[in-house]
Amino acid sequence: MTEHYTIEYVAENTYEHPVLEANWQFLIIPREDAHQQRIQIFFENSENAPWEFSRNGFDFTTIRVRCQGAFKTISFRAVFHLEKTEANPFEFDLGQLRGLPENPDELLLFRIRFSRYLKDTPLSRLPNRVKVFDFDPKHHIFENLIGLNSWVFQTLKYTSGATDVDTPLEVVLENRMGVCQDFTHLFLAIARHHGIPARYVSGYLHQGLGYFGDAQMHAWAEAHLPGIGWVGFDPANNILATTDHIKVAHGRDYSDCAPLKGVFTGMGGNATRHRVQVETQQQ
Amino acid sequence: MLARVADNLFWMGRYIERAEHMARFMNVNYFSSLDAPSSTSQSREFVLRSMVNMTGLSMASSGVLKEQDVLYRIGTDPGESSSIVNSIKNARGNAQSARDLISTELYESINKFYHFAVDYPTGKFVRTGLFDFTTQVTEMTAIIRGKIRGTLLHDSIYAIIMLGVNLERALQITRIIQAKYLDALHAEGEQEEGFRYSYEWTTLLKCTESYDMMRRLYKKQPTSTSTLEFLILNPNCPRSVMNSLNQIYRHISILDPLRIRDKDSSAFLIGKIRAEYQFKSIEDIDNNHREFITETLSSLSAIGSRIEGEFFYY
Amino acid sequence: MYLFTKPCPMQKRNTLFSSYPRDPGLFDELFDQEGKVTKVYSKLFNLYGKNSISDYLELNNKAKASFFNQGITFQVYNEATTREKIFPFDLFPRIIGAEEWAHIEKGVVQRCRALNLFLHDLYHEKEILKAGVVPLELINSSENYLEQMVGLDPPGGIYNHISGTDIIRHKDGEFYVLEDNIRCPSGVSYVLSNRAALKRAFFGVFNHYDVHTVTNYAENLLDQLERVKPGGVDVPTCVVLTPGMYNSAFYEHSYLAKTMGVELVEGRDLYVENDFVYMKTIMGPRRVDILYRRIDDHFIDPLEFRQDSALGVPGLFAAYKKGNITIVNAPGTGVADDKAVYTYVPDIIRFYLGEEPILKNVQTYHCSRKEDLEYVLDNIRELVVKPVDEAGGYGISIGNCLTDTEVEEVRQSIRNAPRKYVAQPILSLSVHPTFIEESQSFEQRHIDLRTFTVLGPDSSYVLKGGLTRVALRKGNLIVNSSQGGGSKDTWVLQK
Repeated sequence: MTEHYTIEYVAENTYEHPVLEANWQFLIIPREDAHQQRIQIFFENSENAPWEFSRNGFDFTTIRVRCQGAFKTISFRAVFHLEKTEANPFEFDLGQLRGLPENPDELLLFRIRFSRYLKDTPLSRLPNRVKVFDFDPKHHIFENLIGLNSWVFQTLKYTSGATDVDTPLEVVLENRMGVCQDFTHLFLAIARHHGIPARYVSGYLHQGLGYFGDAQMHAWAEAHLPGIGWVGFDPANNILATTDHIKVAHGRDYSDCAPLKGVFTGMGGNATRHRVQVETQQQ
Repeated sequence: MLARVADNLFWMGRYIERAEHMARFMNVNYFSSLDAPSSTSQSREFVLRSMVNMTGLSMASSGVLKEQDVLYRIGTDPGESSSIVNSIKNARGNAQSARDLISTELYESINKFYHFAVDYPTGKFVRTGLFDFTTQVTEMTAIIRGKIRGTLLHDSIYAIIMLGVNLERALQITRIIQAKYLDALHAEGEQEEGFRYSYEWTTLLKCTESYDMMRRLYKKQPTSTSTLEFLILNPNCPRSVMNSLNQIYRHISILDPLRIRDKDSSAFLIGKIRAEYQFKSIEDIDNNHREFITETLSSLSAIGSRIEGEFFYY
Repeated sequence: MYLFTKPCPMQKRNTLFSSYPRDPGLFDELFDQEGKVTKVYSKLFNLYGKNSISDYLELNNKAKASFFNQGITFQVYNEATTREKIFPFDLFPRIIGAEEWAHIEKGVVQRCRALNLFLHDLYHEKEILKAGVVPLELINSSENYLEQMVGLDPPGGIYNHISGTDIIRHKDGEFYVLEDNIRCPSGVSYVLSNRAALKRAFFGVFNHYDVHTVTNYAENLLDQLERVKPGGVDVPTCVVLTPGMYNSAFYEHSYLAKTMGVELVEGRDLYVENDFVYMKTIMGPRRVDILYRRIDDHFIDPLEFRQDSALGVPGLFAAYKKGNITIVNAPGTGVADDKAVYTYVPDIIRFYLGEEPILKNVQTYHCSRKEDLEYVLDNIRELVVKPVDEAGGYGISIGNCLTDTEVEEVRQSIRNAPRKYVAQPILSLSVHPTFIEESQSFEQRHIDLRTFTVLGPDSSYVLKGGLTRVALRKGNLIVNSSQGGGSKDTWVLQK
């Protein structure tokens, strides 16, 4: 069965003083893969500034905008239509699941192959001497990760505005509050600590079922299960990623997946407001 | 050539020229006032006020001006954005960011000029160094102009610098005319004859290094009419507004030979203004000096902003 | 100057060196163990010896004024006000004989080639990690490994187009490599201006030596850069990207642009459209094909790397990734000139080239290794301890110069972050007679040599000269300009 989604993304930037030149890069386009296909992309901005599709350093499609002239506000609107085939998060065969390689040579090759997603990053670094979820050696990796997913869900309280995009885990764990990014970073940190490659995923979540995820872009994690491949975990909702999870990009942490990056020539501060809406229609 | 670098070269030319005119104005005005024929012209307050007016310094319009204070602020005050030393600093800063395009010789002379100015002891300047400092500034700018002419390729880089030099020259000459015009009015009152034969016209000509040549041409004591005719309209006087406009036109044509017919181009605007001055006679000016000076200033700044808009905005 | 225009057959007493304090424990480039002048220097020694100290002082002052007036200066920060200083220049040149130079040249080229292959491997198959020759941890913990470069093929397969290799001579007379600089090595403009200054002051001496020219650096560099132009470009446009005139190396940036005859641009002069890079000229946009950037990786593109950078060009990396522009040196080279990677360079050379290293490496202890850590903590007095990722000679502690308290402090910092430190035996850098203004005489000072190598797809060029840096403070081993170092003209003899 396929589902049709319409996603609307709106960002409004306001600046304290007129801006002479600015550049933005949007990483908001749902990617194409076996489960999701783009039908149409629409993009516009209030200044009619020229824009182009490009690719970022990790090969995800971006929209880059360059605007000249004095302006104090600019808004951007993107609409994506896409089709998804319904995915069963448990469709893989657990019989294929293996543990981490035990032979040191094989383990080295594994660690080299996945080094990008095994290193910790400033945003996904576990503070020293904090008690976190422990893996149970009696259980296999998948069970442990399911356990980790619910532990993160129970440990943190979903609180909009409690953190920033650059809040370290130390602070998140101290206040036990956060948004989907923080849930994801915590999941990544612990999974990587146990030698399991894990990556940050940004995307959209269709909220028909009352999931957490704000009216903004959503974040979840993917962990690599030996023998199976990448599997999505959504610790903010304590579920596995489903059809309603529409993936845009993945990376080491939030900073590889920031939906909007911008630089401008001008004085003073600036502020950005985002709004996201996902609608669905079964076909 | 990069637009930003062109902008820097243009301003390098302007700041060099600006430093020179300010220094000469200070020098001539100050020293010729010492033995000026009328007591008004001799008064310290009068000559200091004239300097303040010419340089556009923001100083309280009432109250007594202190000599050392005024000299310091116009000359060597690093905190005064329009002081001579800051013009020189800016000239060097602009040259530095374009030093890969200009000759080593030119850069070296600007750099020496800069070190001379920033190292000049302020105490000496305001007490005994006014003549020495201002004379050296004018001489060093002459050397720099020589290096510009003699060591650069006469291509677009040269044209940009010369545009800056000549536009600034026309502006500074007009400002000097304005300052001395006001001085003449002030010294002689509304008395027509007095105004016409005021000593200030001689000072004006000396401020622009044009006195000798003017005497050679007119062979008479300078009057308001002959002085203004010489300094504004005579195309052969190297300091005249007309001469500067001709040079500006020549150099914009090097830069932009194809766009002269485009009515939005700088070349078109410059050509138009130049033609207007070419066919002006002194009678057109003589009855409304004040308005004429204001109009000239605004035409010149229109040229400046048109050039900036066409070549430097990016 | 009229000095030296006629060779004088009469050997007069050499007053210049009459009071030269010679420490026999040091390797002096000019004098052998018995105090006899070495062969390559003998003519120069006689020629210079005909001057008196006051002649020398006068020439020295003239040379200094000429550097200052030409604006060959750098800004000194960390003081109450920013000041302009000249990089101290010593009028007594350093001479390297043809044979010794051939050895150095072969050695640095070998090293640069191997590091280039190493970089390619780290960003592709990672064979050297799989073989366990270089530990994975070493690369994983490097902040200069750019994930964005994985799988990307720079034009011509070159990463480190320009390398600065720092070499010293130990008291055993052998050359050792001290450091590889393959990010944005600087100093080449000083090589050229030192030569110009020496020629002006002592032109006569050049008649007695066949010295290799250094003035062909720019043309060789441009030639090699144009060989790595992006595909589909016939006549490439090359530019030099500078952080701006307030950067301490701005003089060098403008010098390079001028001598190569290319534009010197700042980030704000460039923009990206349709993944091509353009510069803003007075006649409109013009495409740029080769970017010799003097800005660190993290600042080149605020949309890809550090967003707070105003120095870079938004979208530059996307254009690079598409193959529409060549960036020189390639982004991500910093991972291979890390001081911790340095120790593996001999193994890297063997792994990729199957050759023995021509130039020696200094024995290095990695505090990240347990046995090395213990050795370092126990023998700190005999070692130089360096932070892995600091440039410019900052944070270095030299064991035999430390007080007991300082030793304890260094031990503590190492224990806190062992990965951050490496240690090397205290080397005795060779010394060279150097004119010291304070004492108005020649004294022994430690020197090193920075060589400049330009690597192309199928050829390479080593500047026959290089920058001899000299530690002006007595006994000091750190030659960096930020630490009070000066420099000498360096002569490579043709035969």
